[in-house]
Amino acid sequence: MASQPRATPPSGAGPRNRNLLIAAAGAAIVVIALVAASLLLRGGDDDTEAAPTTGTTVSPSTLLDGIPQDRAVLGNESATVTLIQFEDLQCPICKRYQEEGFPGIVEEYVRPGKVKVRFSGLAFIGPDSEKALLHVLAAGDQGKLFQFADALYQNQGAENSGWVTDGLLERISGELGLNWQKLQKDADGPAALQQANSMASEAEQRGVPGTPWFYVQVGDGVPYQVRPGSFEIEEFRQILDDALSGS
Amino acid sequence: MRGRRELRYAAHIEATEDEAARRSALSASMVSDRALRLAVAAVALAGACVAGYLTYVHYRPAALVCTGGGGCETVQESSYADIAGLPVALLGLLAYLAVLGLLAWDTELARTLAATIALGAVGFAIYLVSVQAFVIDAWCVWCLVNDLVIVPLLAVSTVLRVVRPR
Repeated sequence: MASQPRATPPSGAGPRNRNLLIAAAGAAIVVIALVAASLLLRGGDDDTEAAPTTGTTVSPSTLLDGIPQDRAVLGNESATVTLIQFEDLQCPICKRYQEEGFPGIVEEYVRPGKVKVRFSGLAFIGPDSEKALLHVLAAGDQGKLFQFADALYQNQGAENSGWVTDGLLERISGELGLNWQKLQKDADGPAALQQANSMASEAEQRGVPGTPWFYVQVGDGVPYQVRPGSFEIEEFRQILDDALSGS
Repeated sequence: MRGRRELRYAAHIEATEDEAARRSALSASMVSDRALRLAVAAVALAGACVAGYLTYVHYRPAALVCTGGGGCETVQESSYADIAGLPVALLGLLAYLAVLGLLAWDTELARTLAATIALGAVGFAIYLVSVQAFVIDAWCVWCLVNDLVIVPLLAVSTVLRVVRPR
């Protein structure tokens, strides 16, 4: 005679189901509160989410005024220490570095002539990167590569959203007092492309994994990689002072 | 007479089988709860590691680099990465630590609270994935690992601990 399983009421099933209901109700309240808080109290100004297509203002920085520039190199050409920056103009972390780290380096090291900075632009994020890079390099022909890059960072839009428009480039060109026709011609010319390719080759040769990525070169020595823990000037101070003391 | 003995014998066997089944079920239930508890701990620890990493790079942006394939930096730099100045990743880290604390407490109330946190995390994860898809238009791989793998696993394991017999 086969035994049949008895249908016994599970003890405590009621309270357990009640607990599950309580948990679900509590979770619903938590979700509503978090989503509302996220929508109402979210941080930042979201300047990376909207592509600035029209009416964007460019405020030319005075940070670089009076500092010599030779195409992609900013600062005293006889400075023995060079900070090499690999960057993509669409990269939001590069924008953050430009805002938080770069000004202090310029004021403390570049303007006094102790260090020079070499811009090494990459265009791996997408078509907007390439268009932006070629125009920045073309601006270098008119002595304002760093100003043009800074203005583009100020107006950076969402990655590959088509934010690098001709209108934006022309406005920046006008604000910086550049010759727009020459800039366009140079950006489309072989020299800018060759320079961009040369920078990409150097990045590949060094194994640059992303941007921003930094190297320091002392004199004609082999550049060595540096990884600042943050973009605070203290981090760069340590790196650059070490390089200067060894130069 | 013989028939009555057979009946008694059958009844004895049935009682013994019932007892064995009851004990077996009780034992299995205890083992399963222990396994579930370990599962919750493992999932919450994994979540704490991911959320901890995302919190770290939020406060130390130099630790993050833009790469060709990922939009992690875009998501991290987005305004949706903060709520009232607190990084969302930090909220996640605190939630995982709370679940671990509740696991150590392990009362009925603690189980219910852990399930509340985990189910709430599922709802918020759905919102965060939607924001990545439709608003920011970029994907953060570590955020997706958290939202699509760790959070659902945590929800299932904590809910099972609430509904299973103890």
